[in-house]
Amino acid sequence: MVKVENLDKRYGDFRLQVSLEIPDGTVTGLVGKNGAGKSTVIKSILGLIRPDAGRVLINGKDAAALSSAEKALIGVALADSCFSSYLKVADVIAILRKTYPRFDEPFFRSSCAAQGLQLDKQIKDFSTGMRAKLRVLVAISHQAELLIMDEPTAGLDVEARVELLDLLRQYLAENDKRSMLLTSHISSDLESLCDDIYLIHDGRIVLHEDTDTILSNYAILKVDEAAYAALDKSHILRAKKETFGYACFTDEKQYYAENYPGIVIENGSIDELILMLTGGKSDAWPA
Amino acid sequence: MLGLLEKDLRLTLTRKQTLLIFLVAALVMGMTMDGSFLVGYLTMLATITAVSTISYDEFDNGMAFLMTLPTSRKTYVLKQYLFSLLLAAAAWCVGLVLYGVMSAVRHSAAAPGDELPMLLAILPVLYLSAAVMIPLQLKFGSEKSRIVLFVLFGVAAILFVGVRNSFGGAVPSPDGLIMALSGLSPAVVLLSLTAVCALLALASYLCSVRIMEKKEF
Repeated sequence: MVKVENLDKRYGDFRLQVSLEIPDGTVTGLVGKNGAGKSTVIKSILGLIRPDAGRVLINGKDAAALSSAEKALIGVALADSCFSSYLKVADVIAILRKTYPRFDEPFFRSSCAAQGLQLDKQIKDFSTGMRAKLRVLVAISHQAELLIMDEPTAGLDVEARVELLDLLRQYLAENDKRSMLLTSHISSDLESLCDDIYLIHDGRIVLHEDTDTILSNYAILKVDEAAYAALDKSHILRAKKETFGYACFTDEKQYYAENYPGIVIENGSIDELILMLTGGKSDAWPA
Repeated sequence: MLGLLEKDLRLTLTRKQTLLIFLVAALVMGMTMDGSFLVGYLTMLATITAVSTISYDEFDNGMAFLMTLPTSRKTYVLKQYLFSLLLAAAAWCVGLVLYGVMSAVRHSAAAPGDELPMLLAILPVLYLSAAVMIPLQLKFGSEKSRIVLFVLFGVAAILFVGVRNSFGGAVPSPDGLIMALSGLSPAVVLLSLTAVCALLALASYLCSVRIMEKKEF
C-alpha cells in the first residue's frame, strides 16, 4: 500500500500539494496535463526528491528510507530515464541478475525476443518505442509487488501499446496483491487498466474517482440556450458555450437521462474529464 | 552494489577501442620512456576512466533510474570509490607487468623490483585524483566539474606561492620535503603516504555521501 499524505513540494512558482493512496491489488491512474505535477508525485513516491512537508509511506515505511530488499519489490519505468543507452540488452540482463534476487531471466529473455529487442544491440540504437518496451520489461522482470509506471506507452504504435498493456495486465493478474501507479496521456490505456483515477491540475488533486464511475456516470450534455436556462444545474460540474448552445459536464448522467428525456447525452471519457475540469477548454466555467 | 559494479564494468568495456589505444600508447611509452612513468600513466588513465562512469550515469537523466534500483545513495558513492580503486589497481598491475616485459626485452639494468617502493607509492597518490574528481563530478556534473577543478588548482597554486612568498623560509619547499623523506626507510614513507591518502580519500567519500544525500533527481 502506498500512502501519500499531505505532500508539499515547491519549485519556484509551482507548488505541489497532494494526498493519494494506492491500496494493494489496485491499479491507480494519475492523469493531468503537462506540468500538472504527475512526475513530481512519482519522484516523491520513489524517494528521488525530498518533500518540503508531508510524507510518502510504502507499506508503512517512509519512501526515502526503504531498504534494498524493500526497494527490490518495486518495479519502475520512468518516462525519461533508464539504464545508460550505451549498454546493450545483454549488459542489462547481467546487471539485473546481480541487482534483483528475484530476477526472472528466462521471462525477460523470452519477452525481449517476443518484443523484438535484440540482445546485442546498444539501447541508443533502439527506436523510442523499443526503449519504452525495454523500460517496462525491466520493471516487470523481478517479481515486483508495486509497479510505478510513468508514461509507459509513450511513443508506441497501437499494436505495441496493446501488447505492452496485455503484458502489464497479465503480470498484475498473476498475483492479487500486485498494484500499480500509472500515468499516461493516452486515456484509453487508463480506461482499460485502472481501477481508479486521480486527476491532478496545477499541483492539486481535483478529482478522485473509480474508473467505472467515470465511464458510467460522467457525461456531456448538449443543450440549446432555452434548455440550458431550464436545466437543473445542481449536478453540472462545468459548462461551455458552444455554437449550438451549451456543453455541460455532469457526474450524474442518469439523473438527466431520466428527467430530461430529449436531451443529447454523450458518454464521458477521461479526455473530457481532463479538458473540462482542468480548464483545457478555456472558456468552460463552473456552472 | 554488485549490480552497480557490473554496470560500471560494462560501461567501461563499451569503450574498448579507447582502452586499446591507451594500451598501445602505454606500450610505445614503455619502449621509449621510464618504466615508472608507464605504470603511473596507465594508473592515471584507469582512474579517470573509472570516474567518468558517473558521466554515463548522468547522461540522459539516467541517475534518476539508478536511484530507484535496490541500492542506497551511500552505496552508489561507495561503489564509485571502490570501482575507481579496483580499476586503478588493475591498471597498476598491467603497467607493472608491461614494465617487467619491457625491461626483459630491452635487457635494461632497471627492473620493476628495484623501484617497487616508488611504484607502490603511485597507486595511493594517483587514487587521490579520483578522491578529488568524484565529489566534484557528483556536485557539479561532468562539464562544470572540469572548470571547478581548474579553478581549484589555480587557487591552490596561488595560495601556495602566496604563502611561500609571505613566510619565506618558514615554509618547507618540495625539495626540502623530499630530502627529509629520503632519510626515512622506504617502508615507513610508503605506509605514511598510504595512510595520508586513505584519510584524504575517506574525507572525500564522506563529502560525496553528503552531496548525494542532498541531491534530487
